[in-house]
Amino acid sequence: MRAVNHTIRNRAKLTGWLFIAGAVLMICLFYFYPMIQALLLSFKTGAGANLHFDGLANYKRLLSDKTFFTAVKNTFLFLIVQVPVMIVFAMMISVLLNDSKLRFKGFFRTAIFLPCVTSLVAYSVVFKYLFGNDGLINLALLNMHILSEPIQWISDPFWAKVTIIIAITWRWTGYNMIFFLSSLQNIDSSIYEAARIDGASGPRQFFSITVPLLKPIILFTSITSTIGTLQLFDEIMNITKGGPGNATLSISQYIYNLSFKYTPDFGYAATVSYSIVVMIIILAFLQIKLAGDDK
Amino acid sequence: MKKKATALLLAGFTLLTACSSNANTNNQANTGAEGNAAGGNQKITVWAWDKNFNIAAMNLAKDAYVAKNPDAQIEVVEYAQDDIIQKLNTGLNSGSASGLPNIVLIEDYRAQSFLQTYPDAFQELGDAIKTSDFAEYKLGPTSFNGKQYGVPFDSGVVGLYVRTDYLQEAGYTVDDLQDIDWQQYIEIGKAVKAKTGKAMLTQDPNDLGLIRMMIQSAGSWYLKEDGKTPDLKDNAVLKEAFESYKELMNADIVKVNSDWSSFLAGFNSGDVASVPTGNWITPSVKASADQSGKWAVVPFPKLKNAANSVHASNLGGSSWYVLNNDGKEAAVKFLGATLGSDVALYQKLVTDVGVVGTYKPAAEGEAYGTADEFFGGQKIIADFAKWTAEIPNVNYGLHTYAIEDILKVEMQNFLNGTELDKALSDAQSQAESQIQ
Repeated sequence: MRAVNHTIRNRAKLTGWLFIAGAVLMICLFYFYPMIQALLLSFKTGAGANLHFDGLANYKRLLSDKTFFTAVKNTFLFLIVQVPVMIVFAMMISVLLNDSKLRFKGFFRTAIFLPCVTSLVAYSVVFKYLFGNDGLINLALLNMHILSEPIQWISDPFWAKVTIIIAITWRWTGYNMIFFLSSLQNIDSSIYEAARIDGASGPRQFFSITVPLLKPIILFTSITSTIGTLQLFDEIMNITKGGPGNATLSISQYIYNLSFKYTPDFGYAATVSYSIVVMIIILAFLQIKLAGDDK
Repeated sequence: MKKKATALLLAGFTLLTACSSNANTNNQANTGAEGNAAGGNQKITVWAWDKNFNIAAMNLAKDAYVAKNPDAQIEVVEYAQDDIIQKLNTGLNSGSASGLPNIVLIEDYRAQSFLQTYPDAFQELGDAIKTSDFAEYKLGPTSFNGKQYGVPFDSGVVGLYVRTDYLQEAGYTVDDLQDIDWQQYIEIGKAVKAKTGKAMLTQDPNDLGLIRMMIQSAGSWYLKEDGKTPDLKDNAVLKEAFESYKELMNADIVKVNSDWSSFLAGFNSGDVASVPTGNWITPSVKASADQSGKWAVVPFPKLKNAANSVHASNLGGSSWYVLNNDGKEAAVKFLGATLGSDVALYQKLVTDVGVVGTYKPAAEGEAYGTADEFFGGQKIIADFAKWTAEIPNVNYGLHTYAIEDILKVEMQNFLNGTELDKALSDAQSQAESQIQ
């Protein structure tokens, strides 16, 4: 009897494995294989197809590469400025939109979520024209007499950074808002009722009930946004191409330049890619630690 | 349990690697067989960018060839230049040229980086073209190890396009602008700004094309003659170019643009009085038909102190290359019979598209001497052809754009007050650590 049970269990296990075999194979083929190849590539140097193993040469070069550090600095600046602003925005908007007395809720939610549906390239190109030296934004500000001469949104190192931050905030706030909204709807309204009876004000309710209960979502959105910002590419590529003079160069744009703009150096480009992996691991780890999630 | 999973994973990997290597050999076998079966009557695919210029020119070449060889099948495909570079790099690097075209247009600045890093990827032209028939400065970028790989095409010869009406308002004639240097150019620019309120030129601070034109006019480049050693620190020509650029920027005669379309808008809308750039801009200048008769082209200004500087330079010319894949023989034959030798075709290129080629025998043709009413009856093609012959030959090497990205940053520093010697020596050390 026992033996029969054993074979049945074994067969069930085998069936299970068969069911997922296809997926496992695909994941290995399209995720793990390229990842390992890229890691191997990061130890090779040489231009184009003339690659050969060269130990840690690329990693040494990385540590003395000024352009790489400029790219890291820019990317972290975007991260530090933009991610908190965006999460606060997303949280505030979602609380407003969750108000039961609000009318036309569907319209507002759609309107704020809509930017996420647009193509990255399309919206970047539109932003580039809006913020051009003769673009609509300058035109409007000049006509309203807020400015006396046009701001060089794209050609000035400082304003170029601001333009990128505005663009990514516009694109991603609605996306994060959706997570907050769905989470808010799971908070039992009786908690707020009780708080009201106890005399807690609106802000007090927000900081003492909403924020703590949203903590897992705040953690989730900040980790995904961090990863997204570290991989920032489309906006930079289409709005500023990393300029003026590397002022908005992101790590991903630098990888692109190394692979395609300059004489191709795929080995070093892979090394820079792996630096992003390391940074994401460290940051996600820190965020989870800081958020104090024991689970 | 864990062991089993690992075993499965490992098995998966071995299977994958086995698969992929098999796939490779199969592919090669297949394409080989196809090539044999198809024989001579093969479709030739061409990739290029710029619909109004390169694509239009290639279509003329195609028509000329098909008229004589009715069986020939030629497909011209338009891609953005960046896309072509990406596709070539990924295709050639993966070792499979099956998705690539037979003929491709490559910018001269990038040519060596393709020829040298993918040594077997391109087809030598052999006797298909006579190299001595082409402008000498085009032969460096298009050949490697003494072998000719490219059919030299767009000359990229530069000129100074000027608005005669604005100049007149400021008290100058076209004659005053013949053979000037950059200092004189800046003085004229200040006068134009004072009298007309128009900027003298438009510049994108993120594009150092002007610096490239300036230094090539004196036979200098970012790299030494070997095409490998950075030549930034103590490069007197580069120093003068940087200083001239700063003077230009500080003279308040520059309208800043941020991309190609605002560059075009700069002169199409009549906001700037001159455009120092490559001759491929002619169709774009002529796009504003209402400005007809108001433009002229004068020789490119030279650097004042650099002894070798001449009134001729090049900006971003390009050439045609044949890839080493099936159909290469047909592609070489096609290029050799058209852009490699057809004088009549070159006349048509001039009249229909406005392309100044670098094929010397073509310059004697009639079309090169036609007066252009848009430029007040000036024979601009003849002028461009004359300047083409004077362009100094430099070795662009492998790293034009990598070094330029370093220089862009140092240029900003220099404009913001860093000493020039320090800026260039910083650039030198960065370039040395990056180029290996």
